[in-house]
Amino acid sequence: MTHALLPVLPEAVLLAAACTVLLLDLFLPPSRRHWSFWLTQATLLACAAITVATAELQPLHAFGGLVVDDMLSDFLKLLSCVAVSTMLFYSRGYLAVRGLFRGEVLVLTMLALLGMMVMISAASFLTLYLGLELLALCLYSMVAMHRTSNAASEAAMKYFVLGALASGMLLYGMSMVYGATGSLDIHRIARVIHAGQGNGTVLLFGLVFVVSGIAFKLGAVPYHMWVPDVYHGAPTAVTLLIGTAPKLAAFALTLRLLGVALAGLEFDWQGMLIVLSLLSMVLGNVTAIAQTNIKRMLAYSTIANMGFMLLGFLAANLAGYSAAMFYVVAYVLTSLASFGVVMLLAREGFEADRIEDFRGLNQRSPWWAFIMLLVMFSLAGVPPTLGFYAKFAVIEAAVGAGFIWLAVAAVLASLVGAFYYLRVVKVMYFEDAVDTTPIVARGDNRALLSANGLALLLFGILPQPLMGLCVVALAQSGFL
Amino acid sequence: MKHALTLIVLLPLVGFLLNGFLATRFGGNRVGKGFVTALACGLPIAAFLLTVACLVRLQEAGYQPLVDTAYTWALIGGRSFEIAFYFDRLTAVMTLIVTGVGSLIHVYSAGYMKEDESYARYFAYLNLFLFFMLLLVLGRSLLVLFVGWEGVGLASYLLIGFWFEDPEKAAAGKKAFIVNRIGDAGFLLGMFLLYQTVGTLDMDRINAAFNGATLPAVSASLVGILLFIGATGKSAQIPLYVWLPDAMAGPTPVSALIHAATMVTAGVYLVARLSGIYLHAPEASALVAGIGAATAFFAATIALVQTDIKKVLAYSTVSQLGLMFVALGVGAYGVAIFHVTTHAFFKACLFLGAGSVIHALSGEQDILKMGGLARKIPVTFVTFAIATAAIAGIPPLAGFFSKDEILWFSFASARGGSTFLWLVASAASLMTSFYMFRLLWLTFFGASRMSHEVEHHVHESPLSMTGVLAVLALLSAVGGFLALPHFLEPMLPLPAVVPALHHHERTLIGIAIALAFTGLAAAVFLYGGGARRAAALRGRFPLAHGLLLGKYFVDEAYDFLVSRPLLWLSDRVFLRLGDRVLLDGTLNGLAAWAQRTAGSLSRIQTGNLQLYAFLALAGVVAALVWTWAHV
Amino acid sequence: MSFPTFLFYAFAAILVFAALRVVTTRNPVHAALWLVLAFFTAAAHWLMLRAEFLAIALVLVYVGAVMVLFLFVVMMLDVNFDSLRAQFRNYVPVAATVGVLVLVEMALVLLGSYLKPGSAALPAPAAGGNTRALGLLLYTDYVYAFEIAAVVLLVAIIAAIALTHRRRRETRYQDPGKQVKVRAKDRLRVLGMPAEKRDG
Repeated sequence: MTHALLPVLPEAVLLAAACTVLLLDLFLPPSRRHWSFWLTQATLLACAAITVATAELQPLHAFGGLVVDDMLSDFLKLLSCVAVSTMLFYSRGYLAVRGLFRGEVLVLTMLALLGMMVMISAASFLTLYLGLELLALCLYSMVAMHRTSNAASEAAMKYFVLGALASGMLLYGMSMVYGATGSLDIHRIARVIHAGQGNGTVLLFGLVFVVSGIAFKLGAVPYHMWVPDVYHGAPTAVTLLIGTAPKLAAFALTLRLLGVALAGLEFDWQGMLIVLSLLSMVLGNVTAIAQTNIKRMLAYSTIANMGFMLLGFLAANLAGYSAAMFYVVAYVLTSLASFGVVMLLAREGFEADRIEDFRGLNQRSPWWAFIMLLVMFSLAGVPPTLGFYAKFAVIEAAVGAGFIWLAVAAVLASLVGAFYYLRVVKVMYFEDAVDTTPIVARGDNRALLSANGLALLLFGILPQPLMGLCVVALAQSGFL
Repeated sequence: MKHALTLIVLLPLVGFLLNGFLATRFGGNRVGKGFVTALACGLPIAAFLLTVACLVRLQEAGYQPLVDTAYTWALIGGRSFEIAFYFDRLTAVMTLIVTGVGSLIHVYSAGYMKEDESYARYFAYLNLFLFFMLLLVLGRSLLVLFVGWEGVGLASYLLIGFWFEDPEKAAAGKKAFIVNRIGDAGFLLGMFLLYQTVGTLDMDRINAAFNGATLPAVSASLVGILLFIGATGKSAQIPLYVWLPDAMAGPTPVSALIHAATMVTAGVYLVARLSGIYLHAPEASALVAGIGAATAFFAATIALVQTDIKKVLAYSTVSQLGLMFVALGVGAYGVAIFHVTTHAFFKACLFLGAGSVIHALSGEQDILKMGGLARKIPVTFVTFAIATAAIAGIPPLAGFFSKDEILWFSFASARGGSTFLWLVASAASLMTSFYMFRLLWLTFFGASRMSHEVEHHVHESPLSMTGVLAVLALLSAVGGFLALPHFLEPMLPLPAVVPALHHHERTLIGIAIALAFTGLAAAVFLYGGGARRAAALRGRFPLAHGLLLGKYFVDEAYDFLVSRPLLWLSDRVFLRLGDRVLLDGTLNGLAAWAQRTAGSLSRIQTGNLQLYAFLALAGVVAALVWTWAHV
Repeated sequence: MSFPTFLFYAFAAILVFAALRVVTTRNPVHAALWLVLAFFTAAAHWLMLRAEFLAIALVLVYVGAVMVLFLFVVMMLDVNFDSLRAQFRNYVPVAATVGVLVLVEMALVLLGSYLKPGSAALPAPAAGGNTRALGLLLYTDYVYAFEIAAVVLLVAIIAAIALTHRRRRETRYQDPGKQVKVRAKDRLRVLGMPAEKRDG
């Protein structure tokens, strides 16, 4: 079955379901809210299933080249669905306690996922940008959703203004590239640049703005300032959403823009990415040390991690891209678990977002302390967790591409990083619990979070299937 | 059955996981011991049957090695590390021993451990051991072998310290683990060196590389010695043998399985498996033979005077392992494996028999407090006697054949055989025969030296135990006719014999038989009839007796020469000066500095939106300027 | 100088002047009106480039809808623009530096590459007019992008409603549905009562 609309079937199903939930939710009494929830989960499952079922080895194009459906997009879409679904399971209790478990949140989450999917399978600047805006708009409003919280409103405001600025820059850069090459299609742009027909100077300046826009979305230094404030201010459930699946889409955005469309300018963007990567790794890891709030700490950790991802990316070959992709996937898995634990400990009127709230967690619950230990080890890159192999892969890719001094800097930066991750472990295991409230959560949340934590260990010991998938997806999508 | 080899390895792992679960809080007390027993014994037996099936297939394939790649573990650069299993003649022999003797000991354990509270935990550990041991013998790559190598160490640690409430037993577990780690350092270095020069860790490829036209650019002797250091740890050779006698703290079936029949022979297996290296390493081979002979001799002398039934057997194991290394050192790899096999039969039988005795005497292990048991526990006695005769080298029992071949090659091999080596090995054999019959006599003959209470309770063990003893005794009796060296010869050829010595073969066989009977006669002479002559002898040489009883005071010497200086060094130099002053000082200083930097860096994060936007724009401008400069 | 060139410079001058007035004038209403002028002049530019659809869309959307809405807001909210302006002055030096730098760099790039004579020939208008051509493209080749844009608008609606429309317990509101459903008997009860007689 190769219908012209097949490549966008998951998106179509998702949109239809989002509208259905939106309408259905109007007529549901609050006690039946879980119908919307389960309908949303069923939709995500269906999207994932369709993505897998329609996956093909060869890339398919649709809508005159606006959309591409290749292995890369299938893989990333599948992971996004899984990440969003997991996020909803984790946040259900948290949202319900805060009066945020409403239809709008579910619908906005679904539409944000739609934005990610559009971005992931975009093959044109137009669709890339539209997907990005769709995603961003949903996130802005979700950050602001907790209206009684001043921090959330402030965070939303900052996120919105700076996000708009970033979109402007990205759009400006895209328009200059369009001006120089006369096309919005990423493959055609690549061909024009390859043939040496584009206007060189304009192209380069366009590139500067495009890279700046991407760096903004990724949260790389010096475009990172929104990250800590937004991560901190937003409700943890929304922070979880921002910190996980959109990173997959951002990776796709970076790959399609720099790795495909502007691949011919590799030597120019490599230089910029080196600076971004180095600054992010150093500044992110060093600043994180001073944080007392775990959400803020994880925000700086995100900045540093995006620096690591760029480290793999800037090798600009299959090994580098697959290492970067593996890194993003590993990061998303780890992030899900980290915020999942934070939300598990939170309860009515208590956010559990300070590091001292984790004091003596081992006494309260050895199991969740162990899961958090795995998360922190994975973030710090301690073998045999997933994070170790991810860091190893990007550093190897950088060394393979000849950036040895950068790799050394990365190792040093991750050493600094180990300091604050292990501090959390120390607090959990070597200090006495002050708060002895029992930890309560739904069974599905517990099971999923446990599985998530153990996955960090499992994939750390057996990373090859995941790495193999990354390599195959990229190779089949034309990155050889 | 494409993945039959993988399945062999995985079956005990399944047993471990299930029994491990049953041993926890969640799974405990739900199912009866019957289920645990069925699981724990059924899976190894299934693995044994599968091994037999694989052997049949190997034979059908004309002895072309079977390879089963289970999983590609990692791709690093262009090199892949696979978890692959390899099945050839040598593997077949080892796997049959491990699963066969292993299954028997599992069955025996069901009777022996019946009363223990931690029944499921015991079997979980035992299954875990089997899993790692199979990984060790079936692994194609040194990497997989190493995982198994470390894993059996772990399982052994867990089982030695099985009754961890007793601090002495827990300490014995730790000792075994730490001494093994010292050997592992050598093993690891050898492995690294091999990987660097040969570029693979697959053992068949390593052998092929060393047997090829151009030798790898590494000294085979250096690699050989490094790997042998690992083997001395695991197989309890001088100077790292000290852990094995202490390891007797574990349950007796564990001593039989791990510390006699299987794990301790891993070092022998390693050297035989990598014979390609040792064939090109005359210096390393000479060292192997020398260490083996010395160990065989010294351990045998210690065993002469020990009074703990398990300690005697432990030193005897060390001594027998020494003989196996003598065989390896003179290039008779097949003969060493042959002795591994026969030794597995009779030593397992001896240990299990000892277990049966201890079981009958409610935990008594001192042979001076036994005596006259022959009529009270007849099955145990008969089987124990057969195994004793086998280890002593009485023809035509199993030990005679394998030991005789070792002695012959130690004398006549063109690869380093010598009269001196033969003399030392023969002396060890003589002593073996003597102390084994001494053990038999003190335990089963003469007047009872038991207290009344103990004597009252003496009983024969249940069928699950005596049945296993009978099977093993049978194997000890007829195992010598297996002709394993011949079976292994296409793969591990026997060394050439110095032609001038060829005609001595019959003479040497005669001497070997004479030695075995001399040992028997001496033991009967000294210990028959109240052992008065032995006491008199002891009185004549109190100094020598004390030295042997104190095991040459090696533990004390290690403590004084190695442990204490190390402790002092760790405490004074590394801890107080290095760690606290230098490292902690530097680290704390660095951490404080990093924290100050972090503090000032996070002060940029004022929360002011305009500042954020400005920074971003500054970034853009900088990038533009930079690009402009590079256009 | 041909007439179109003259017109271009005239409109450009008006556009730049109007844009400057937007940020310098004190009265926000005046600023908005200057912005309307700027939009109109920009639309004129587009007309000269034969992009009549964009010109009309600009006037309709920005002048007709956005600016009118903006004026409403400005007039309804009593925003103290003087304080905003004071803040604005604080940022003038920084903003000016960055702005000028960007301007100079862009000028260098664009002047170098695009201001060569005859480099940009005016494309011929599509058959049947640009509007028709745009429409055809929009609903065929770009229908996917069009739909996604519609979803973006949907999100904007949902977000706006979710963020502003919230029932608070203290708010008093009417429910027209309930009001309509009311029956007379819910509100009015006719009681039978014996007539009282005045005592004699």
